[in-house]
Amino acid sequence: MGRFRFDLLLLLLAVHWGPALSDLVISKLDRRIDLTSQIVRMTISLKVENKGPDPVSKVSLTFPEHQANNLALLVAVSTEGKGKTRGPTTNLPIKINQPDDSPPSLIWYAAILPKELVKGESLTIDVLAVFTHTLRAFPEKITQSEPQLFLFQESAHFPSPYKVKSQSMTVKIPSENIESYTKLENTKFSNSEIKYGPYENLPPFSYSPVIIHFPSNKPFAVAQELIREIEISHWGNVQVTEHYTVIHGGAKSTGEFSRLDFQTRPHVRGASAFRNLLAMLPPRAHSIYYRDAIGNISTSNIYGDSSKTLLEIEPRYPMFGGWKTSFTIGYGLPLQDFLFQSEGTRFLNITFGSPMNDILVENLTVKVVLPEGSKDISVSVPFPVKQSQETKFSHLDIAGRPTIVVEKINVVPEHNQYFQVHYKFSNISLLTEPLMLIFGFFSLFVACIIYMHADFTISKSSASYLAKLQWDEVLGTIQLLQDIINRCLLVHDKLEASLRDLSRTGDVQACKAVRKAADNLLKDLSKESKPLLSLLQSSPQAAHIFPKVEELVVKERDLQEKIMLKHTMVVDSYEKKSGGRDIENRVASIQQKITVLKQEVDDLVEFVEDI
Amino acid sequence: MVQSAKPISSPVPDAWYPSLAVLMLAVGLVITASFFIYEATSSSKSRSLAKEVVTGAVASVFLGFGSLFLLLASGVYV
Repeated sequence: MGRFRFDLLLLLLAVHWGPALSDLVISKLDRRIDLTSQIVRMTISLKVENKGPDPVSKVSLTFPEHQANNLALLVAVSTEGKGKTRGPTTNLPIKINQPDDSPPSLIWYAAILPKELVKGESLTIDVLAVFTHTLRAFPEKITQSEPQLFLFQESAHFPSPYKVKSQSMTVKIPSENIESYTKLENTKFSNSEIKYGPYENLPPFSYSPVIIHFPSNKPFAVAQELIREIEISHWGNVQVTEHYTVIHGGAKSTGEFSRLDFQTRPHVRGASAFRNLLAMLPPRAHSIYYRDAIGNISTSNIYGDSSKTLLEIEPRYPMFGGWKTSFTIGYGLPLQDFLFQSEGTRFLNITFGSPMNDILVENLTVKVVLPEGSKDISVSVPFPVKQSQETKFSHLDIAGRPTIVVEKINVVPEHNQYFQVHYKFSNISLLTEPLMLIFGFFSLFVACIIYMHADFTISKSSASYLAKLQWDEVLGTIQLLQDIINRCLLVHDKLEASLRDLSRTGDVQACKAVRKAADNLLKDLSKESKPLLSLLQSSPQAAHIFPKVEELVVKERDLQEKIMLKHTMVVDSYEKKSGGRDIENRVASIQQKITVLKQEVDDLVEFVEDI
Repeated sequence: MVQSAKPISSPVPDAWYPSLAVLMLAVGLVITASFFIYEATSSSKSRSLAKEVVTGAVASVFLGFGSLFLLLASGVYV
């Protein structure tokens, strides 16, 4: 217990130190220390009064070095007035302000006042100090069935550099059981609270050590390492992935572990262990997962309403003192809840710390992965952190995504405040990803086209290659011919349709006009087909199919003539105003031939198509 | 937090992603099929390069956006 000898030294030093800062006097100082969780929270409410002639602009708060090393957070708020007339509160900026002649075992913090305190005025300041690693397990090692006991050391007198007129300290412990506590004058223990004081008229730096030894089975979940990765996608999602390495930070477990004992009487044989962790995720969180290196962990539950999503996770085994586990949780959040735009820049507004209840994070790394193409990046965090920048490669990236890395040690739930990442991003860059996919598919098609057009034959003069070339030519010619014949057949249909129109409307002129157009078109087509036919005839490869093709052409021409004939006859009859029955009789024989020819042409076309 | 800030949401509502993916992939695959049918049936003489390239381009636009929406719908936010 070397610390106590050093405390005595402090006390001696303090005696010499007193007068230097005696302008301010603390008229009332109340301290409440909360030991109900692994994180020790001390709220100090003090009323300072200026007795000296000079105005004062700052108030010094001092903590012994061993406490200051574990100080995770120090916030001071000043309030003007009292009781019902309490004015607005102001957050006081705090900085380390070590006087040159102070002993190194005392760390000084200065709270800068919003306005100077002149003679005779007083001010109420509320201070919150959060300490980690302050509770010491004693005994340091326990077995499965033993309760967990902790030692807490503090001074009953706040080591203030000012004179304190009246002060008291209240310590709250988790249960009504207590092992032992230092009894000073004016000490009272009731209802799980120990009250020291009030003590009147204490000189500066007075020190009176107390030790409290108490049982606590609260979860001592300490995340030795937490990496939070927040990835923004402008397609509508903020993906959060958290990698935890959690250890039970209480008394080390010794001896053997009996699963049977734990299972049958968990509150007696395993009181110091914790089974689950509760994470409070933002509302509308979706796609939540919980896994570790060997896969999904199925022991988790989700409860949710419109204001929050509760995720209860259970590690693979109950956590005893010193036991360690690592896992990953991940969830997606809707973009519009966290990403905002103002004055041309975009910013992400999201909480900093871990969403777990009452977890202490020793090393927190927050990575914010911005979309590719983000520029002018800046971060604003409400407390000092270490910042750096890196690049992350993910899906469909070329240059990589700019990533902001923010690191902080000893993060407590009080650090779970909103922080902002500002950046510039153009919506055009959103199209790079689909364009890459499109380019990928297109290059596939281009490869196909090139393959189909390329000629991979090694020997360009071999007989089979030449034969193949000729055959390709024949096929091409046949395709063109087929095209022409199809167009002829279309013209035939048009002529037939004009006849039907004629019978309905009796408009001879229109019918004649259609006939004239058809005549011209058919003439052109037959002109077009002539060189193709002669090409086919000259090609030896086409020898076996040429008769069929020729037959098709001949039959088609025959059909064409018959249809023309029929057309002429019908039109003539209309001009001579013959009766409908008469026309039908005259055309009947031709019509029969046309039907037969049509059938034959259709068969031939089908045959040619199959080539 | 700045008061005048407006929330940013995705250019296409996320609820549409699955149907957009199915629709665009279906259209893209049909056009791809027609491209390959054309490649296989036309002879090298009668094939037109412009038609091939245009069909391929249209098919890849549909397939590209279709696969993007498929990724988004399945939770891979690119």
